Amino acid sequence: MTKPDQSVPAGTVVEIGYAGHERLMMNMGPQHPSAHGVFRAILTLEGETVVGVDAVIGYLHRCHEKLGESLTYVQYPTIASKTDYVAAMTSELAYVSAVEKVGRIEVPRRAQYLRVLVAELQRIASHCIWLGTWCMDMGGALGGGATVFLYCMRERELILDLFEALTGARLLYGFHQVGGTRYDLPAGWAAECRKTIDLVAGRIDEYEAMLEGNAFFLVRTQGVGVVSRELAQEVGVSGPLIRGSGIAYDVRRAEPYSSYQDFDFRVPVETAGDCYARYRVRMQEFRESIKIVRQVLDGLPEGPISSRPGVKSVGQVRVPKGEGYARVEGPRGEVGCYLIADGGPKPYRMKWRGASFSNLAILPHVLIGTKVADVVAIMGSVDPVFGEVDR
Amino acid sequence: MARDGAPGFWGEVGQLTVAVGRAMGVTLRNLFRRPVTIMYPDTPRRYPERFRGVLALTYDRETGEENCIGCRLCEYICPPQVIKVEMLKGEKRNYAKRFTLELYSCEFCELCVQVCPTDAIVMLRTFDLATSDRRHLLLDKDRLHALGLQFEHSWATGNRLRDMQAPPRPARGEGKAEGAHQAKEPAE
Amino acid sequence: MTLAPVVRDVVVAFVLLNGVILLVTYVTLLERKFAARMQSRIGPYYVGWPHGWLQPIADALKLMMKEDVVPAASDRWVYNLAPLVFLVPCVLIFATIPFAPGLGVADLNIGVLFFLAVSALEIVGLFMGGWGSNNKYALLSAMRAVNQIISYDLPFVFAALVPVALAGSMQMSAIVAAQQGPLGWFVFYPVVGQLAFVAYVVATLAAENRVPFDILEAESELVAGFRVEYSGMKFALIQLGEYAHMLGTSFLGALLFLGGWLGPGPAWLGPVWFVLKAVLVFLLVTWVRWSFVRIRVDQILAISWKLLLPATVLLLLVTGFVVASGGGRGA
Repeated sequence: MTKPDQSVPAGTVVEIGYAGHERLMMNMGPQHPSAHGVFRAILTLEGETVVGVDAVIGYLHRCHEKLGESLTYVQYPTIASKTDYVAAMTSELAYVSAVEKVGRIEVPRRAQYLRVLVAELQRIASHCIWLGTWCMDMGGALGGGATVFLYCMRERELILDLFEALTGARLLYGFHQVGGTRYDLPAGWAAECRKTIDLVAGRIDEYEAMLEGNAFFLVRTQGVGVVSRELAQEVGVSGPLIRGSGIAYDVRRAEPYSSYQDFDFRVPVETAGDCYARYRVRMQEFRESIKIVRQVLDGLPEGPISSRPGVKSVGQVRVPKGEGYARVEGPRGEVGCYLIADGGPKPYRMKWRGASFSNLAILPHVLIGTKVADVVAIMGSVDPVFGEVDR
Repeated sequence: MARDGAPGFWGEVGQLTVAVGRAMGVTLRNLFRRPVTIMYPDTPRRYPERFRGVLALTYDRETGEENCIGCRLCEYICPPQVIKVEMLKGEKRNYAKRFTLELYSCEFCELCVQVCPTDAIVMLRTFDLATSDRRHLLLDKDRLHALGLQFEHSWATGNRLRDMQAPPRPARGEGKAEGAHQAKEPAE
Repeated sequence: MTLAPVVRDVVVAFVLLNGVILLVTYVTLLERKFAARMQSRIGPYYVGWPHGWLQPIADALKLMMKEDVVPAASDRWVYNLAPLVFLVPCVLIFATIPFAPGLGVADLNIGVLFFLAVSALEIVGLFMGGWGSNNKYALLSAMRAVNQIISYDLPFVFAALVPVALAGSMQMSAIVAAQQGPLGWFVFYPVVGQLAFVAYVVATLAAENRVPFDILEAESELVAGFRVEYSGMKFALIQLGEYAHMLGTSFLGALLFLGGWLGPGPAWLGPVWFVLKAVLVFLLVTWVRWSFVRIRVDQILAISWKLLLPATVLLLLVTGFVVASGGGRGA
């Protein structure tokens, strides 16, 4: 394998010749089966090796931060889920946590436990999508990848059915409200949830049987896309990306929110920093989330689900002047919301910290020197969602 | 393919065979499971109690009058502003002279249902929206009332949603506990 | 009724060609249903209710009616001829396979050699398609394809030569005749037969661009590879050629290892057994295909040159010793 020619800078295009160092500029364009959304990566290739990456984002920009200034505190939680639409519950939680922090609004204990419950169920559902799409990227839509994808979707449908019985919607919930949650558990939901969780736990064993120890899977993921500890800290990534590189940072432990300190769970950390390590972290997170869900269902207190009366008018919530930043541990990393309130029913300024936006910054460091086939494996293990990136 | 390490060549071949066998075993096992496909629309879909489907206006169950008093609270709270209401003043109570809802832009967030003081607007347990003309999705008052009579209503009405969020009130003399627990729908 | 030999050959070839094409289209339906059941879903259902029996016909009609989009900057002659150059060898291999003793277009005495040589010609068509499309994805795919198929044709040939050595002849009907008797199939031949069968299946997977070796059409990276610029009937021809090749190597595998048309029952049941065995080999390959993720091209080449080729050469040498010491069947 010839080493890439470092004397020619990566942005230039060289005419095709026969010296062995000719370069090809290829667009892994916004329309691509494995771009994980709308993402454009302009790759400069020498043969099969990537020597330059130019990432272009912004194809999904929908002016969420401006919408945050035009919609009131009562209205915005219903569309906050559209930033990270794969993990809608954690996105809403970030926004309402910010409002509650700035406005010093109490959240009753039952509401906090319900928030934890849906957040962990959402983590399981989101990791199902991660595993399915990652295997599909690596295995093709007509191959073993599609098999794992359909199995994961089958399990995710069970969790979405639970959410549908709880809120009425399958994907974008509007479950959180300033001061608590909007819906309470219907009758029989807790038993249904336990049954579903037990079934999902058994199916996760099946996924591991399919992938663990499988030499085809291991050669695609071990040693691929290594993110060293120093690089992870320097770039500022979060979530499974940083926990796969040896740094045990989890917002649920660093700054516990919404009663996470009441629950007993482990934060999985791996040190290798390659795609396989991030895979192991997420597979263990599956099981930890199942543990937390069981603990919540066992210990759910009685009480109100909101410290404020039900929504009756659009300007009902007024937050006095102040600013603050609240963050939650989403499935992709630290999702945060910075809010500046000015006393009215709408914020003065609202800023989202998208986990995937910061995670994508690792790509230029990690992709140089890999093969084209590794690009999809690495993108899948970073697991970006472009609603968060472009907002 | 061969990595230098403990197992050695034959050990690796053995591991590979076992792993291949396990993966193919999982697919073989799924070959004999029942498929999870639901043959919609031949099989009707069972919508849950609280399903947030298409919107509709309701009539009062006893008197048969329209519930909507034209207060425009739903219009003010709607995030994408798809509802437009004109009030008609009457002697005893007000009505809605015109009520349009642009279903093609609706977010289905249920905020309008939540604020309605008279439980006039509800969501239905159906979601068949497909039409070939977008103008069919611009629902006016007659269409909304017709939809309300045609399909099952969701459990969630304004008062029930607000009761769910209210703190539990102390029990009254009749012995029935009011508040959050009564507002839940009956056990399935 | 005796016909002139030329007329007889043309009629047989015509019937065989149509039969092969029909079988190939229906084998796509079989693969889709089989894969669907492994994924807890149903597969084609409504077309030709109740189980999608008319789906392949519908697909063929759809492809015929599609607009034929030709890229403006493509190399006209190369681009247009590529599907034909790809298809013809893939269908020609069926000419050498006899479906019963005496029932075949041409039962050559160098049958296996002809089959293997002609089936390798598809690479030319593949490369023409990738080059003539004037598309970077297609070009990458064509480069990978040439690499991969050439590397895997060698182990493929060596694995296919093991039954030839055991039977002592390259004529297909002679190889089947050498597998007569209970447990006479070459797949039951101690050690050598089973290893050769495994090597044959692996080499088939790679020579057919099936997952885990389908790097050249890797949908998630290269978006259909060398076929990306083809639409309509040309795409149909390429698909037909691919599945025909797949089915052809399944037939060869059934003939070399699973005893061809040998089976219980009267002699006219032979072709039926043969087709069933070929479909079994095909389903085996499909089962592997739907269970694994793919591996990278340099790893594929490493497996071929460092593992499979030395293994099959060694296997052939061992078979030679076995035959020389009197273990061979047949003349």
